[in-house]
Amino acid sequence: MFFKPTSQPPDVRRRRLPRVPHTRVFSWLCTFLVGLFLLSLVALFGWQSLPVWRDVGPAYVTGTLWFYRQHTFGTLPMIYGSVVVSVVALVLAVPVGVGAAICTAEILPPRLRLAVKIAVELLAGIPSVVYGLLGILFLRDWVYRLLSPWDPLSGDTLLTAGILVGVMILPTVLTLTDDALRGVPALQRQAARGLGLTCSETVCSVVLPQAWPGIVAAVLLALGRSLGEMIAVFLVVGRQDNQWPAHLLSPQPLMQSGQTLASKLGGSETNIAYGDPLHWAAILGLGLLLLFLVGTITAMSFRFLRQDRHA
Amino acid sequence: MHFRAALGRVLLGALGAWLVLPGGAAAAILKINGSTTVNLPVAEAAEILRAEQKLQITVDTQGGSSGGISMLGDGQVEIGMSSKHVGAADRAKFPRVKFQETHIGEDAVALIVSRDVWNSGVTNLTQAQVRELYEGRVTNWKQVGGLDRRIAFFNKEPGRGTWEVFTHWLYGDSKKAPPVNFPEVGGNEETRNKVASTRGAISQLSASWADGKTVFALGIKTESGDAVLPTAANIANHTYPMSRPLFVVTNGDPAGEAKIFIDFLLSSRGQALVRKHGYLSLDQLK
Repeated sequence: MFFKPTSQPPDVRRRRLPRVPHTRVFSWLCTFLVGLFLLSLVALFGWQSLPVWRDVGPAYVTGTLWFYRQHTFGTLPMIYGSVVVSVVALVLAVPVGVGAAICTAEILPPRLRLAVKIAVELLAGIPSVVYGLLGILFLRDWVYRLLSPWDPLSGDTLLTAGILVGVMILPTVLTLTDDALRGVPALQRQAARGLGLTCSETVCSVVLPQAWPGIVAAVLLALGRSLGEMIAVFLVVGRQDNQWPAHLLSPQPLMQSGQTLASKLGGSETNIAYGDPLHWAAILGLGLLLLFLVGTITAMSFRFLRQDRHA
Repeated sequence: MHFRAALGRVLLGALGAWLVLPGGAAAAILKINGSTTVNLPVAEAAEILRAEQKLQITVDTQGGSSGGISMLGDGQVEIGMSSKHVGAADRAKFPRVKFQETHIGEDAVALIVSRDVWNSGVTNLTQAQVRELYEGRVTNWKQVGGLDRRIAFFNKEPGRGTWEVFTHWLYGDSKKAPPVNFPEVGGNEETRNKVASTRGAISQLSASWADGKTVFALGIKTESGDAVLPTAANIANHTYPMSRPLFVVTNGDPAGEAKIFIDFLLSSRGQALVRKHGYLSLDQLK
């Protein structure tokens, strides 16, 4: 008996332990808490912003004027500002970021690549207020001088904010694109080179197409960050309301001050709004719009990331 | 298995403890928030009291005067700093809070312009000119006797004490101020920096911040034709029209640490700090 443990009835302790999967319970609990937090956040914003959806209705997202004393709440110029700033940022950061990622992933020796990656990820960790102050100190004046042939009113423009955010999201684009490129198996590169393709041909026709979903995901995550960026934009965008352009595609607004959803939320108007239910609802509605925009884009980027993993 | 189970229990226990137990009982911290203008002497007083009396004090300037008042109303801070009276609307918003203002000094709001405007000869404006400028009917400096350049008006954001004093002076009541469309500026540093680095710029700024080197305070031309500058004497005898009181606000009479702090601000050393930052102390106002 003593030498045949397998035939023994299972030990009580050994049988009981696997029945309570603590790890799983714990991780479910945490997931549940996170989900609950997110849901209650959306619910709270939705509930508190209810008056503005009821009283202002669709004009809240299609109206172009915001005068809180007159109870006119139109957010379109702010949505426009957020989009313009993000587009400028992406136009600047994506070519540079993807180009640099091709360099780190395909050309640099592994050690140097690691050094570059560490440096870049450190850049990503710099608080955005630091970028904002640098923007006030240098970028505003630089843009002001750059635009002087067109006689801008000041250096606080959508362009300034876009450039600043572009610098801020560059590390995100670079490091995630680098990961996507490294995810393409080395065997395929060797096969391509074996077939006589040059280094650049290999990158263009073998590596990039395969890493594509990952790169798109990187860009979308960077877009999410640029839409939500508050303090750095706040300091250089000018915070001028109601800047709805006469022509949607004209470059003129780039040289003028504007307002983004996030910079509006950072202003002291939130303190005035408190106590006036409709104004307060309008402010929280901005938060809901921002949450919705950033949430959608982040969700999209995760779709692409999953595709990348399956590829 | 044992290890994982044990780890799971420890983590669960830790989570439970974190959920159930309140935060560690820390020593009471005196929290202060509000106007960036009042902040200057208050922050320095806080530093002195931290060192001398070992008081725990945090001073912040979120949202200016309105931020200070609403955070006091919400009970998030013990002292609010405000460069305007607590309005009837604020009192109505927080009916249970007994806002008690303590006057610690006086400040003036200056209209500041950039160097090119000042050098082109615009050194004072009448109230009517300022009103036209604010309402966007005057958009070029040559219309008020200066150079040919568009006016870049940086409007102090509503809710700031500076803006309230400015619009109160122009319209008698800040609520009557017309809706305008200008880029907005917040804190005093930001305002001064942006005006100094922009051609044709004008903004409202606490007079003590108008240094006369990077930005220049305009005089206000009265009906008799004199230009009144925001000097200490003119503010004290109220010939300069845009001045405002500086307050620290408490809920009811100040008590405990808040009382120690406010007593210090009213003492000769505290009042010296008020003067040091360019404001008028209480004895200068008599």
